Amino acid sequence: MNAVRIAWRITRLNFRSQLEYRTEFLLMVAIGAIWQVSVIVFATVLLTRFSGMGGWDSSDVLLIPATRMLAHGLFVLVLGRMHGIGRFIQEGRIDIYLLRPMPVHRQVQLQYFPTNAIGDLTVAVGLMIGALSRSHLDWTAGRITYLTVCLIGGMLLEAALFTAVACASLRFPAADYWGRWLEELLGTFGSYPLNVLPRAVGGFLTFGLPLAFVAYFPAAVLTGHGHDTGVPYWLAAASPLLGLLAYLGARLLWRWSLGHYTGVNG
Amino acid sequence: MAVLHAWRTARVTPLGELHAPPRMTAVLVRLTVQVVLVASLWSGLYANTGAKAGMSREQAITYAVLAVLASRLRELDQFAGRDTVIQHMHFGTIVYWYLRPLPPARYHALRAVGEQVYGAAWALAGYAVCLAAGVVEPPGSAAVAGVFVLSLLLGQLVLYHVMLLLDQMCFWTVRNTAAMLILIFAQNLMSGVYAPLWFFPGWFRTLSTFLPFQATLNVPLSLYVGRIQLSDAGGQLAVQAGWVVLLHLFTRFLWRRAARRVISQGG
Repeated sequence: MNAVRIAWRITRLNFRSQLEYRTEFLLMVAIGAIWQVSVIVFATVLLTRFSGMGGWDSSDVLLIPATRMLAHGLFVLVLGRMHGIGRFIQEGRIDIYLLRPMPVHRQVQLQYFPTNAIGDLTVAVGLMIGALSRSHLDWTAGRITYLTVCLIGGMLLEAALFTAVACASLRFPAADYWGRWLEELLGTFGSYPLNVLPRAVGGFLTFGLPLAFVAYFPAAVLTGHGHDTGVPYWLAAASPLLGLLAYLGARLLWRWSLGHYTGVNG
Repeated sequence: MAVLHAWRTARVTPLGELHAPPRMTAVLVRLTVQVVLVASLWSGLYANTGAKAGMSREQAITYAVLAVLASRLRELDQFAGRDTVIQHMHFGTIVYWYLRPLPPARYHALRAVGEQVYGAAWALAGYAVCLAAGVVEPPGSAAVAGVFVLSLLLGQLVLYHVMLLLDQMCFWTVRNTAAMLILIFAQNLMSGVYAPLWFFPGWFRTLSTFLPFQATLNVPLSLYVGRIQLSDAGGQLAVQAGWVVLLHLFTRFLWRRAARRVISQGG
């Protein structure tokens, strides 16, 4: 309970410190929104020019970017500081965290308040409302619960991927480069049905880099395309559970990597 | 002597890259995967349809793959080398740029030339492989190839000046992260990196014509794939050249103003 109180107090202070530079604060809110709008623009351009993409109705397709963006917004708000950690490792700030009486992972998450998450979440919630209102599905309590669980699963899966990159950054700070690519891939290839891609490429985005589990599979299960995804139905339906398992695995990897961290001074 | 200094300055970043094999491997893997993904996406989208927005399947794939290769031209991890302007401003080391016998503007330009030549080597190698594998189409004629190269050079000059503007902004703002992200986003979106500009709505393309971003990539790539005809190339090249001149004059003015703002620690 004490840890939660401290984390809340630090978050409040971080938020106030972000307000110190008002223009930067507003611009950061804008960048969150703009980044998400870019995903919408990309998806909209593809949707309007190539209707009936992968055999999906456009209102069904819209559920994929909406789920992905909302999961991404939650990730940025709650666990997003793992992204870009290479910079802090390079500047030796991790060494300071090791000396303090608080878990390093928590200190990393409490480094600063993610102002851009405000913009991210605003646009994502807007898109989700749009997607749900255009959807022809009957949104029963079961469906809404599954969607909510999938959003948390997607957030955890994204966090797991960035935590894995952060672990690599502890040894090679330049591994941050992979984080930027990962973000780009999630934005561009995570927002539409992956069955438009050749099987091998779709397989890579499922088993190599599991971004299909963030939004594509959950949306497929919800919209009745769960049997046409190229993987067993139960696996697609278990996406949120996979997110949780991946995150727990990533945290174990983080703990192991931190134990082997040597720092710039040896 | 000046040539020697220029050579030594320009090769700093490429040498740094050549001495970091993991980074080069990362670039190779990323470029390969990105090209495969982009080519697969566009061929998948065109699987059951004909030309869209005046672009055939081959034109769209060639445009998208070339956009991936061209974006490689300026994507070096300068941050790892601690030589970005924002880092120098943060650590106070920007003052050294003003203590050297080389003017900061020339130093900045020489570093960029080195990076762009190094990036061009990657892009060219990738282009050769894609051409041999039949992923991209060759240019329609020798004239198209020539105009494309000229347009690409002008586009890179526009891009350099846009990035320079961002760096110069650091002299006036304590933080520039958000502005930098917004500009990079605008650059990627409006130059055709995310998707060929021809697929966007009319109002979006009209808006793009008033901004310099589409001159960096969309114009050369459209010339290459034949979406802009050779007969219209003159006007497009003139617009690119106009942006280069305009941005050059503006950034030169900013360099002069920026020098007045530099103070060493303690004043």
